[in-house]
Amino acid sequence: MKTSGRILAQKVQDIQTSGRLSIRSASLPTWCPGCGYFGIHQGLNNAIQQLSLPHHSIVTVTGIGCAGRYAFFNNTYSFHVTHGRTLPVATGVKLANPALTVFAIGGDGDGLAIGGGHLPHMARRNINVNYLLFDNSMYGLTKGQPSPSSPVGTKTKVSPAGTFEMPLNASLLGLSYGTTFAARLFAGDPESITQALIEGIRHEGFSFFHIYTTCLTFDKENKTWEHLKERVHPLPQKYDCSNLSKAMAHILEDDFSTGVIYKKS
Amino acid sequence: MPGVDLTIEICGMSGDGTIAAGTLLNEALSGAGFSIIGFDSYPAEIRGFGRCVTRSRFGTSRMLALSDHTHVLISLDDQQAISRISMLGKNAKVLFDNKPAGTVQEGMSIAAHTAPDADLYGMPFTDLASEAAGTTRGKNLAALGCFTGLAGIDPRFFYTVIEKKFRAKGETVLNANLNSFNAGLTYAHTHFEDAPLVITAPAPEKKKVQRIMLSGNAAIARGALDAGLALYFGYPITPATPIMEYLAKTLPQKGGKVVQMEDEISSIGAVLGSFYAGKRAMTATSGPGLALMAEMISLGVMSETPAVIVDAQRGGPSTGLPTKTEQSDLHAAVFGGPGDSPRIVIAPTDVAECYQFTLKSFELAEKYQTPVIVLTDFFLDNRVENVAAADISGKKRVDGNIYPPKKEQGRYQRYLVTPSGISPRALPGSEGYIYPATGLEHTEAGLPDYSEPVHMQMNAKRHTKIRQALADLPPPKEFSQKGPLDLGVIAWGSSFGAALEAVLKARKKGLAVGALKVISLFPYHEEQIRQFMSRCRRVLIPELNFQGQLANLIGHLHHGDVVRFNRTTGTPLLPSEILLKIQELLQKDNT
Repeated sequence: MKTSGRILAQKVQDIQTSGRLSIRSASLPTWCPGCGYFGIHQGLNNAIQQLSLPHHSIVTVTGIGCAGRYAFFNNTYSFHVTHGRTLPVATGVKLANPALTVFAIGGDGDGLAIGGGHLPHMARRNINVNYLLFDNSMYGLTKGQPSPSSPVGTKTKVSPAGTFEMPLNASLLGLSYGTTFAARLFAGDPESITQALIEGIRHEGFSFFHIYTTCLTFDKENKTWEHLKERVHPLPQKYDCSNLSKAMAHILEDDFSTGVIYKKS
Repeated sequence: MPGVDLTIEICGMSGDGTIAAGTLLNEALSGAGFSIIGFDSYPAEIRGFGRCVTRSRFGTSRMLALSDHTHVLISLDDQQAISRISMLGKNAKVLFDNKPAGTVQEGMSIAAHTAPDADLYGMPFTDLASEAAGTTRGKNLAALGCFTGLAGIDPRFFYTVIEKKFRAKGETVLNANLNSFNAGLTYAHTHFEDAPLVITAPAPEKKKVQRIMLSGNAAIARGALDAGLALYFGYPITPATPIMEYLAKTLPQKGGKVVQMEDEISSIGAVLGSFYAGKRAMTATSGPGLALMAEMISLGVMSETPAVIVDAQRGGPSTGLPTKTEQSDLHAAVFGGPGDSPRIVIAPTDVAECYQFTLKSFELAEKYQTPVIVLTDFFLDNRVENVAAADISGKKRVDGNIYPPKKEQGRYQRYLVTPSGISPRALPGSEGYIYPATGLEHTEAGLPDYSEPVHMQMNAKRHTKIRQALADLPPPKEFSQKGPLDLGVIAWGSSFGAALEAVLKARKKGLAVGALKVISLFPYHEEQIRQFMSRCRRVLIPELNFQGQLANLIGHLHHGDVVRFNRTTGTPLLPSEILLKIQELLQKDNT
């Protein structure tokens, strides 16, 4: 672990000194080495870079949990708020100053449990905020409890006999709430994250990015790198992202396809 | 001649135009130069039992509170108005619609229910309206005409307000209402030659003071508008909703937005987001909503983000008594939320202060980078007063923001520790000042840090800042003679008016009593309060909550006894009951 940490620190330093990613802040990410969040970080930073967004014109509103710490790792304005409340705060920021590019970032506990009541209304208001939901089906920062997207039978310290609750499907929720732009992505594929983000940031309205990722410290069974890599695949070639009912039908049939699943034309 | 001090009630069934009549009455009496305080009561249920009551106290000196008794009851529907008889004082005048015998249900004429000392004036409101305007809809106006005739008030004050109200609805409607009013007026003049209830309007003021009839809620909304409010986020809740309704009509005209959020947590969240990004925003709620906001308010404290929150208190705990008045959120407002989270809490005591302190709260929130809670209650929100126009306008927006100097570009520290505790605040979008804001304990740069010196230093910073705000907060105001007092009455919010009236009456009786109005509840002016208390042998704190929450907060500043006077009946405190308590306490001292 220690060695990989040092290698990582060296990597980040190299990137910083090269000036290629001035978007990164001086604080090194505190995520566990090998965490899926690094891939999302890279994907988002590349999108910001490619769109040449001035860093001071970006506000990143983050929730609580490992994903919430994102606030400290980027060289943008950021507001690390309370658990589950990224979307309301982002709404205030965007309405107050529409010239800002606003990202809301939180995990699956933040967005589907404690803050689950905000997503439908964010979709209804369709305010131009880009929401990244990091979905690893695990509460990591509190050391491994099941989340609303954990499969039935998930065993943790607080669910030794396995969970009995059915998992939520964030992408399906996003579509049913009327989100005007929805993408399902995979942390292991930063390039596709960048492409979808570029499209979503340009979208005039609320953009929802449901991103599969892993908690390699506490999840040894469900969304592990191995499992995700094995299952995740791009959307079918002839997929039509402008058709809502087909998008919903597809999401119900296929849990692991990635790409822009819906865009209201 | 002694000054006028009268209370009039109008009671009817919904659809009788009770509220409209009450509004016209208030406006006309205000035009005549009286001071007015009005408070309508209505049931919590949407249709309720259909009863509408308007209650107005008016007089020649400034009206500070409601009165104990009704002097004149105008009944537009006897079946409803019978329930108001218990409010009548001695020799009260009761005006009612004397419909022909046989058209009134047995036992349902108010005349059969009043005490023998009441003066009854039966007048055919409905028939008068119907004859004069061809419709019974103007019976409320006919009743007002009857009252005006009986009281010998100059009808011109009524013509002005009737004209103002109905002009826009066209000539026909206006004339129908004027005719109904005049029919009532003539009827009273011809049937009661000597006006039995002479109400003399005060002499016109030397310098004409323009007055506006306004509720506390409307005053709050106007204060926010004049403060340059850009965004309002709210969730419907009684009794705060009228603020949102007022702003929904007015704010968009000024380029702002009113957004109904999904709950109170998101409302305060969006307010914080808006202030963080540099625009003034507000939310208004009541106790249950304030409880939900507690965590976000402490986020505002920790991240040093401004916010303005109006808490229109109602009866609690929990859902409590939604349409009743109470002052029981004081502890929640001052202490609610995790950790040591100092914020500013101010409580206006009348309608003009609702305007003034709402306006002020935006400047305070920005300057001290903190949530500010404006604490009102059902009674203050819904009462109307005819306030001097000068007291609720002409105030200019003051920018309270303290921005970082240009030289800090590139090495800016958002939470720099300064002697005042205030760190210059950069707004997102400005180049060279990027920083993280967070609800975690943090360094001067805004990065998470839980080490002992940092937490101690930052806690001290946040508290220093709020203590500094005392200099900008309205100090307690004393109403008493110089020297030692046998009793000092300290009150806050909507109850202060009643306390002051009681103290003024006690002083007229020769008692050495004084009143202290406390507006800023957190931080509070410890020195001034202590000084006042040190001159009082005893201190009485009357408030509309069960435990005595202000007494809990400041009672320790007194060297001696602090007597609590608490009542939770859902109705405003009355001057008479406070006066009684004052007399009782002083009597006990003398025996």
